[in-house]
Amino acid sequence: MHTITRLSTVELKLITREPFTLLFVFAFPIIVLLVMAGVFGTEAAEEWQGTTPANYYAASYIATVIVALSLVGVPVHLASYRERGILRRLTASSVSAHAVLLSQLVVGFLLALAGSVALILSASLIYDVEAPVSIGGVAVSFTLGALSLVTLGLLLGAVMPTARSAQAVGLGLFFPMWMLSGTGPPREVMTGTMQAISDVLPMTRLVNALQASWFGEGADFGELAILFVLLIVAGALAVARVRAST
Amino acid sequence: MDDQVITVEHLHKQYGEQVAVEDVTLDVRRGEIFGIAGPNGAGKTTSVECIQGLRKPDRGQIRVLGMDPVHDGTKLRQRIGSQLQQSALPDRLRVWEALDLFASFVPGESDWPGLIEQWGLAGKERTAFANLSGGQQQRLFIALALINDPEIVFLDELTQGLDPAARRVTWGLIRAARDHGKTIVLVTHFMDEAEILCDRLAIIDRGQVIDLDSPQALINRHGGPQKVTFSTEENDLAWLESLNVVHSVSRLGSQVSVTGTGPLVPLVSHALVGNGIVPGDLRVHQPSLEDTFLRLTGREQMNGMAD
Repeated sequence: MHTITRLSTVELKLITREPFTLLFVFAFPIIVLLVMAGVFGTEAAEEWQGTTPANYYAASYIATVIVALSLVGVPVHLASYRERGILRRLTASSVSAHAVLLSQLVVGFLLALAGSVALILSASLIYDVEAPVSIGGVAVSFTLGALSLVTLGLLLGAVMPTARSAQAVGLGLFFPMWMLSGTGPPREVMTGTMQAISDVLPMTRLVNALQASWFGEGADFGELAILFVLLIVAGALAVARVRAST
Repeated sequence: MDDQVITVEHLHKQYGEQVAVEDVTLDVRRGEIFGIAGPNGAGKTTSVECIQGLRKPDRGQIRVLGMDPVHDGTKLRQRIGSQLQQSALPDRLRVWEALDLFASFVPGESDWPGLIEQWGLAGKERTAFANLSGGQQQRLFIALALINDPEIVFLDELTQGLDPAARRVTWGLIRAARDHGKTIVLVTHFMDEAEILCDRLAIIDRGQVIDLDSPQALINRHGGPQKVTFSTEENDLAWLESLNVVHSVSRLGSQVSVTGTGPLVPLVSHALVGNGIVPGDLRVHQPSLEDTFLRLTGREQMNGMAD
């Protein structure tokens, strides 16, 4: 526990020294959210699941922050740690694969939280974003979503041979997911094929969970269960992979 | 034996079909600088990684400080330190933060401010890892390897990429660590480094230990003949060849080259003076560890072909 706290603290400190590495993760969702909500106006409509575009996108763009961080930020970071021998250096000093991954997960979670708060504040300042139906539901969806997708990003970083390949694959996964998970066009206006693809994307589950708690029926336990399973499976695979490859 | 801190018997390790270590047997004694020398790809790094418990051997016995590195890895790593080949720290991490972080991984208090002083990093405490010179980065790695006051320190290709002056400084510091009672295991493909620094060394090639002894003993055993060169205008040197320590005499113009073994230098010098030849350019060429290594591994013939 002590080791994880120390590693996480150092990581956060390092991020404050190179804050621009996270510019994409923080700026991209805010810019796109402001554009989307601005373009589609403030009228509630059926294709926005009965709510306003501002509400619709405010909820789902928390997922965009989480997934941008998880697929664009996290994999490159972990892959470069492995590629450059930083992981070997830590392992040789008795730091376990668990400790390394858990510290990265803690840092990823805190960054996702900071990014989401910045996002909701920006959206609320410009548009009329309603308060969530279930604050608890949003909190649980955010927590489980951030933990499971950051862990998925860690798995990607653990599997990719180099930082460059992790970056290419991370971006390659991020953009289709962003387009097809309800954060681009709403799922209601997608074709059948697009919806079928959308159904198997983990980001869709997170978007659904967040939207249900923000302006829908409240916490969606089915979607949350799927995210929980993703967390456990990706976590186990990532630990096994980091152990074997350092 | 009591003073053996590492014993390795018939270590074998392969990655898939690729045999990295065929059969390595060696022992390291307390308080010595022990070298593991050999060409790139000989199996040096894999061997020391197995010894440190970072890799699991396929066959063979390893004991380090009385422990089995595979089963007691965590306990063992508290009593050893290592500087790894191809390892790094995050670019923006500062020197003092690195030492403070790694000190937090080991139980008890650590005197890392003392290490900063000792390893010539004073004044660099607030410098980021990426802004250190190669020599400073290596000294930081050695300081990190010493942070838990280990009994054995593993140094892998320590002076790779350092300029000659920085190499010499590093060598002095390693001797100092040995003189403070540490056992040092030094992995290197630089034979000059092994010859200068090591008390004993194992020469490894193609995954096997070819021989193990002090550098001088290895040179004496395998280094081949010594050579004396000088120049003279005298044509008849048959009396030199009759000395029983001389193997051959050859000449190129006025340059004469005499090879042989044993007390070659005093006997040749004496004979020269006795025959009225007093060359001002007499030179002695002792075989180095590098010559010895090339002979031992049969790489001599490959000179100029490889790379």
